[in-house]
Amino acid sequence: MRAEPGEPLRARARVLENRREGPSHLRLRLAVPGFGGFSPGQFAMLSPGPLTPSRDPLLPRPMAIYRCEGEGAPDPVVEILYKVHGRGTAALAAAREGEVLGLVGPLGRGFPLPAEGEGAILVGGGTGIASLLELARRAAARGPVEVLLGARAESELMGLGDFEALDLALHVATEDGSRGRRGRVTALLPDALARAPGAAVYACGPTPMMRVAAERAAAAGRPVRASLENPMACGFGVCLGCAAPLRGGGFALVCRDGPVFDAAAVDWDRMA
Amino acid sequence: MSSPPDLAVDLGGIALRNPVLTASGTFGYGTELAPWIDLRRIGGIVSKSLTLRPRHGNLPRRIAETPAGMLNAIGLENVGVDAFLEEKLPALPDGVPVIASLFGTEIGEYRAVAERLSECDRVAGLEINASCPHVKAGGIEFGQDPGHLARLVREVRRATRLPLLVKLSPNVTDIARMAQVCEGEGADAIALINTLQALDVDVETRRPVLRNVLGGLSGPAIRPVALRMVFQAARAVSIPVCGIGGIETGEDAVKFLLCGATAVQVGTANYLDPAAALRVVEGIAEYCRRAGVASVRELVGGIELPAG
Ligand SMILES: Cc1cc2nc3c(=O)[nH]c(=O)nc-3n(C[C@H](O)[C@H](O)[C@H](O)COP(=O)(O)OP(=O)(O)OC[C@H]3O[C@@H](n4cnc5c(N)ncnc54)[C@H](O)[C@@H]3O)c2cc1C
Ligand SMILES: Cc1cc2nc3c(=O)[nH]c(=O)nc-3n(C[C@H](O)[C@H](O)[C@H](O)COP(=O)(O)O)c2cc1C
Ligand code: FES
Repeated sequence: MRAEPGEPLRARARVLENRREGPSHLRLRLAVPGFGGFSPGQFAMLSPGPLTPSRDPLLPRPMAIYRCEGEGAPDPVVEILYKVHGRGTAALAAAREGEVLGLVGPLGRGFPLPAEGEGAILVGGGTGIASLLELARRAAARGPVEVLLGARAESELMGLGDFEALDLALHVATEDGSRGRRGRVTALLPDALARAPGAAVYACGPTPMMRVAAERAAAAGRPVRASLENPMACGFGVCLGCAAPLRGGGFALVCRDGPVFDAAAVDWDRMA
Repeated sequence: MSSPPDLAVDLGGIALRNPVLTASGTFGYGTELAPWIDLRRIGGIVSKSLTLRPRHGNLPRRIAETPAGMLNAIGLENVGVDAFLEEKLPALPDGVPVIASLFGTEIGEYRAVAERLSECDRVAGLEINASCPHVKAGGIEFGQDPGHLARLVREVRRATRLPLLVKLSPNVTDIARMAQVCEGEGADAIALINTLQALDVDVETRRPVLRNVLGGLSGPAIRPVALRMVFQAARAVSIPVCGIGGIETGEDAVKFLLCGATAVQVGTANYLDPAAALRVVEGIAEYCRRAGVASVRELVGGIELPAG
């Protein structure tokens, strides 16, 4: 069955490659027949299913779709870039070529692209970097793009080479100073905002990082589109586990209403 | 070739084409999973539990994984009975039995929700969620006290002529007694189990993993406990029993039928695979074919116990 572009599939995804690229992150390439494409920022629920007959770990894990080759073609390849955190991602890391994972996606609403000529600033930290590559690529076709990436050390900067291959300005911060400026990625933001006064601002990374990015941008009168990484059980709006508190009360579901939100709408004080 | 097995069952006056329902709180309002599952091929849907007015839930973190299971403390979030009737229900295809789950923090709220739901002929039956904390009784679950449970079932029974299921809390010492209380107050069927009260702690922060501190445990980890409770409850009453807890495959479901369940509900497994309930239906049919069973009803209560 072929999906319309962006239509969510429930698929058996065959592992083509699951290669270690750093001390704790891997690149997973999956053959996903029928995958019809995605918009930047959308994600998939990946379940190790057949790998854990003991059902432990049990739940699928949300992962940004890093990129897709041959979307709409008979044999599209979906790429995921992920960091081993706990038991679910450790199970994923053990997947061998030829093994089959469950995949549901693409899910959620991605980033709205910048307007033609508007330009963009992308701030990525930790695993959040994986949500930004496709956005960077598409935004670069519409205007100047600055990408600010941060991690603890150079070896933990996921996908750095893929960003370097794009036509954009790349700035890096590492906490140990092994690459780029020493310190946090959000420290790079004020200069970027000053250099590109009209550019749309996007962020994905740990909650404290996005919060600081949102505050810095807001101080400059600039809105931020932030992609949240709340824990999820289902990914399609039925468990209500991923809820993010909104300013002014109530909740939004990160999987269904997001994962991308206007940072000013999120009640960061009440996020987990 | 033999004819396909007959999967139809009657759950306390609700005719189901097969014995597989989706459990409350794990399937939304039914429409969310439509891209992946033909709803007309499962037995039916149980809605998220509904209150009189819309409710926001708990602050995050609301869910966490545990060995072969998960904890949740969603906190009663739902769209409210009016939005369910006006927006959610009409969006479901005809021919899909819909059981509406209801709860309240006081008996009056349960009764009011039951009355509203009973005005709608698209609702096939009601399921009382008795695991809700009873505000006036100091937060103890309705389903944890036989007296509270009896009053609750009695009052809701008066408010509706629809088939009435009572979903029992497993957080009790004597589940058979609770089942009997429901039967005595006129329930048409019982469903069990709801989640088991549980807790997990993060040793780095020394905090509970969930913001709510306590949560409900679900998934394969609870299946043997659920089977035990279904077994005990089914032997204590003559009304039908709907088995719930960690069901993922046809064989899991057959175990519940053998222990006395007439039907089952699939919960957490929907998160792993939005077509999980359909796989359970197919698995039951496959079992029947393999075991030479003509009707799934033959399996109900068919557990072979050791002599003596
Ligand atoms: C929309 C979305 C897209 C994502 N994209 C990517 C991606 O492209 N690459 C990638 O590497 N990761 C991504 N993540 C994060 C990834 O899903 C989590 O790192 C993963 O689920 C952790 O699973 P685990 O089994 O390794 O950890 P677990 O064993 O489940 O948990 C390990 C520790 O991390 C905590 N934890 C678990 N999940 C999360 C979470 N989501 N946020 C914060 N803390 C958590 C747990 O409480 C625990 O302390 C994304 C998350 C979301 C919601
Ligand atoms: C996230 C979540 C939300 C739930 N919400 C409800 C609910 O609103 N009402 C209810 O009666 N049961 C609710 N349940 C309980 C399930 O319906 C079911 O009884 C329980 O999860 C055990 O089945 P399982 O192991 O197949 O999930 C919920 C369960 C989960 C995991
Ligand atoms: S992850 Fe289940 S509702 Fe969002």
